[in-house]
Amino acid sequence: MVHDVLLQMTDICKSFPGVKALDHVSLTARRGTVHALMGENGAGKSTLMKCLFGIYRKDEGSILLEGKEIEFRSSKEALEHGVAMVHQELNQALKRSVMDNLWLGRYPMSGIAVSERKMYQETKKVFDELEIDVDPRQTMSTLPVSKRQMVEIAKAVSYNAKVIVFDEPTSSLTEEEVEHLFKIINMLRDRGCAIIYISHKMAEILRISDDVTIMRDGQWVDTRPANELDMPTIIKLMVGRELGNQFPPKTNEPGEVALEVENLSGQYSQLRDVSFTARKGEILGLAGLDGSGRTEVLENIFGVATRRSGTIKLNGKTVRNKSSRQSIKAGFAMLTEERRATGIFGIRNIRDNTVISSLSKHLKAHIYLNERSMRKDTQWAIDAMRIKTPSQETKIRSLSGGNQQKVILGRWLLTDPEVLLLDEPTRGIDVGAKYEIYQLIIDLAKQGATVLMVSSEMPELLGICDRILVMSGGRLAGEVDARTTTQEEIMTLAAKYV
Amino acid sequence: MRNPVTAVKQTAARYKTMDARDKKSFWVDAVLNNAIYIILIIFVIYTWTQNSNILSGPSIVNLINLVASNLPMALGIGGCIVLTGTDLSAGRVVGLTAGISAALLQTATAANKFFDSLGEPGLAMVFMALVLALLLGGLVGLVNGFFVAKFQLHPFIVTLATQLIVYGACLMFYMSNGNNGQPISGLSDAYRNFVTGTILPRFGNNGALTIPNYVLYAIIVFAIMWFTWNKTTFGKNMFAVGSNPEAANVSGVNVFFTTMMVHALAGVTYGYAGFIEAARISSNVANTGQNYESDAIAACVIGGVSFVGGTGTVSGVLLGVVLLRIIFVCLTYLSVDQNLQYIIKGAIILLACSIDMRKYLTRK
Amino acid sequence: MKKKLLSLLLAGAMTVGLAACGNGGDTPAETPSDNPDATASDANVAVFYYAYSDAFISSVRSALDTALTGAGIEPQNFDGNSSQTTQNEYITTALANGANILLVNLVDTASIDTANAIIEQADAVGAQVVFFNRAVEGTDQEGVVLNAHENVAFVGTDAPEAGHLQGEMIGNYLVENFDAVDLNGDGQISYAMFMGQVGNVEAIYRTQYSVEDANAILAENGHENALVYFDASNPDMYQADQAGNWSAQAALEYMQTNLSQYSEANGNMIELVICNNDNMAEGAISALQAAGYNTGEEGSTTIPVFGVDATDSAKALIADGYMTGTVEQSATGMANALLGMVQNISAGMTMDEAVAAVAQTDTELYSVSDAVANKLYVAYSAYTG
Repeated sequence: MVHDVLLQMTDICKSFPGVKALDHVSLTARRGTVHALMGENGAGKSTLMKCLFGIYRKDEGSILLEGKEIEFRSSKEALEHGVAMVHQELNQALKRSVMDNLWLGRYPMSGIAVSERKMYQETKKVFDELEIDVDPRQTMSTLPVSKRQMVEIAKAVSYNAKVIVFDEPTSSLTEEEVEHLFKIINMLRDRGCAIIYISHKMAEILRISDDVTIMRDGQWVDTRPANELDMPTIIKLMVGRELGNQFPPKTNEPGEVALEVENLSGQYSQLRDVSFTARKGEILGLAGLDGSGRTEVLENIFGVATRRSGTIKLNGKTVRNKSSRQSIKAGFAMLTEERRATGIFGIRNIRDNTVISSLSKHLKAHIYLNERSMRKDTQWAIDAMRIKTPSQETKIRSLSGGNQQKVILGRWLLTDPEVLLLDEPTRGIDVGAKYEIYQLIIDLAKQGATVLMVSSEMPELLGICDRILVMSGGRLAGEVDARTTTQEEIMTLAAKYV
Repeated sequence: MRNPVTAVKQTAARYKTMDARDKKSFWVDAVLNNAIYIILIIFVIYTWTQNSNILSGPSIVNLINLVASNLPMALGIGGCIVLTGTDLSAGRVVGLTAGISAALLQTATAANKFFDSLGEPGLAMVFMALVLALLLGGLVGLVNGFFVAKFQLHPFIVTLATQLIVYGACLMFYMSNGNNGQPISGLSDAYRNFVTGTILPRFGNNGALTIPNYVLYAIIVFAIMWFTWNKTTFGKNMFAVGSNPEAANVSGVNVFFTTMMVHALAGVTYGYAGFIEAARISSNVANTGQNYESDAIAACVIGGVSFVGGTGTVSGVLLGVVLLRIIFVCLTYLSVDQNLQYIIKGAIILLACSIDMRKYLTRK
Repeated sequence: MKKKLLSLLLAGAMTVGLAACGNGGDTPAETPSDNPDATASDANVAVFYYAYSDAFISSVRSALDTALTGAGIEPQNFDGNSSQTTQNEYITTALANGANILLVNLVDTASIDTANAIIEQADAVGAQVVFFNRAVEGTDQEGVVLNAHENVAFVGTDAPEAGHLQGEMIGNYLVENFDAVDLNGDGQISYAMFMGQVGNVEAIYRTQYSVEDANAILAENGHENALVYFDASNPDMYQADQAGNWSAQAALEYMQTNLSQYSEANGNMIELVICNNDNMAEGAISALQAAGYNTGEEGSTTIPVFGVDATDSAKALIADGYMTGTVEQSATGMANALLGMVQNISAGMTMDEAVAAVAQTDTELYSVSDAVANKLYVAYSAYTG
């Protein structure tokens, strides 16, 4: 196959008031190859893609598709020209069926009516081609994220896309789902598509890509064939400095047993009879496939999901934890998986976001809130978490994912928790910020907190946990020592009750 | 709150560092972000060139009176809008509580006395009627809040339903006790003085101007609402629930309770508005208060209480009410043709809201 | 569990509440077959009011309920709630339910098509229609509806009459008290006019004739063109309730705003207030009182305020001297006329005969239209206390 150039972006510039977001960035995608685009959050990867898809208008530079100059005005127009994007945050009509989503805006017609039959057949055809196992008539919202992503890919394929951009496609996938995704990506590549693959995960990138472009601070840093790169080099290029290790040194030491969970079962979830203990100063990982009940363990402990049975003891005393309020009072804190949906108050400022769970601390005379003490606590959180923000009054949604996550962590630390329940604490966060979050977690444990951490990233669990519980099919499949176990052992346990 | 002087200095320093293009967009933003104030000022100046009376003492007192009568209700509805909801029952609750307040507080010699057994009401009775109106309004609000919070129904449909129920009750009330739907008036002096009388000295030329008591009450209500929204746990929780109910729940906010209370508080403001309105317009029929909510909702949205939820300020609501009342007063002073008045009012609301909404749009 | 109990309790409370409403209010009665009175059993009367919330209509409703039940007829009442669509739906439903005499207080008086549509529906099932209170046809097109159908009659007032009466009352009052009313002594009376609803036939007539007739009387008595609208730049020469509710609130807010630039001190005080109904008159008085007028106190000026309807509260205001006059329409007279129509029709009379027979019962109060034999007028009368 001739790997001729399909898409050529040259010297793209884009500035916003006060900021130069892109400064002469170039990117070349060749037919039948995977081109990885890397960089820390805020490096300009998304902005570059938004310029390609006409969501932003570029200030300077040229974009050539198969040698012809193009300037799309919308993603729809791009799609019609064979340039598709699979987003990190999927924008789908969740209440509609899979095939409705696939054919939205170009329903197959018979006469003036939409032909459901044709739509079904066409969908089925694309799905079979890509080996996707989804019923086209199913409602979108009933599918797990991984399947929804597959639908998005199928949509791109159904448009005969020549260039497909994947934006952090694996951030919410399990290892197994990642394998399937890679299979599909390889298939697309072999069909002659040019794939642009945006990700933070270096192992993945080294595995799947042919070329790698690295960006930093809105500038192009380097483009090299993947086989000339290794992890330390990539990190060095991305952060502009040596980053000795992916994980900070573990300095916490587990003490006596603090949390005892017995026969935990969920009323409306699969969770059945989970029992375990966790020690003071211990970081306890929860591994498992998507839907294995990891998140449900945390939700049931924290009381935001209804329990069917089970007792929870903290320091030997039974706690009720029927609602988040009781749990917070009892010394629990929970960082949720979906930061945007259940974590941040996007339209409110950082201060409001920080103090919301610890308002009672600031109450004076039982009625009014002390502005100064709230400001002080917020400043503490900003300093302690090293949150990068212009001011406390900045709206949280204008911060990067990593900084948002730090604000939420700060929110919880202000409640003085003894038990921290963290659900995917580093999802969608860049390498530098991840390291800082790891450091925070380890420091907290060192100070005596008990940490329960759910993660889909195996190296992360192995890197900072003391023990790892493996969930499978709503049950506890086993427990492993993080220092001695292997990924294979965990995967085997994860498949135990599937 | 940031120190305004440093804020201006910072902005000035930032402005100096900008290039020409940024400077231009700085001014465009400045104009658009303050568009409501600018519209207000232009509108008043234009009216002033046509009819200089608009800026006279009596005219300003009149404007204050009109604003004071609409503000409390708008503040109540504002809370519902912060929760991404709305409240259609407001006007009818005003109607019911106005009718009941009036019926309780007629003079002993009123021609069509509703409660024959009641004598001349004194100040104590006035307070009792006020408390009753507040409780009744609060009760309707509580019912609204219960259905919204418990069954996750959209407030639009809940209040649409309660609005009908309250109207039915109101019609029955007016037909009862041999009143046969007649207007309830002949209000006692104690009541009228309490609301429309004044404890402030008369002023202006020959003491022709007075500020009625209900303006003072409106200031108190405004202060209470400002405090509630900005300085209490309840206020913070309200904004949190409005901004992201799921996150609020996880963060330990009692979403159910907060939703109930926001609606109940709104109901209390309608009860209050009914009590005041009865004495202000002095003749009450079953239709009193009809559609009051539409102006109140418009005022909130103009003032930046967005339907997106989680944002809004008490002073914004005040601004919205003032803008709507200024439109009314200016159009009257300009003697604008009645048909045109509808069009102008509609256009200004649309313009003000779109410009305000621009702040929340994601920039590209 | 506790929560479920609460919901259950609440639902229970609502059911009880609804049941209580059912017993308390004036709800539709049982079907005629349940009625023991055999003579009236043929008449299945359905009454359609334009709006329960209207004060005068409420008086008619209770008078008519009393009159009909007294005669052994249980009427079914419907609230059009100011929507012609709602009223039409009720009519269709009532006809389907076997109503054979419809007493209709139209919502939409602006077009004859509304009335025609209702008549045709009734005709199809052999029901009779008596319109009341609100006009079915304009004065310039008398008979186009009423003469065209057999099964229809009208009981009400002559729409312009209230305006004429109000104008006459105002004219006579001004002739007698011209100098007292003319506060600034410029030989002209500047007046404010509050209109209940833009586009409503009665509101238009009242707005027009009250001023025209008053001016005519003044001219006869040596005051040429004495009535002048207070705001020379307003082309409408009225201020209307924008919500169309004929509400006190609208009149109050207009009047309050007007008074902020028109005052005795400025020498341009509004010297007369004319309102389309009493409710608006009361709102205007409330604004006047807030500005120190019409308080009845020593030395305070009283601005004459005129309304229409003679509601109890307006009569009380007139008795106290805060208001000057209103136009009375007899609710009982209207109710009795309607009862007479129902009885006569049930007895087999034609519409024209029924109208004539009712008119005979009180020649002072009732009169038959000169142009149309099935149109019965209930007289208005001026009320000044």
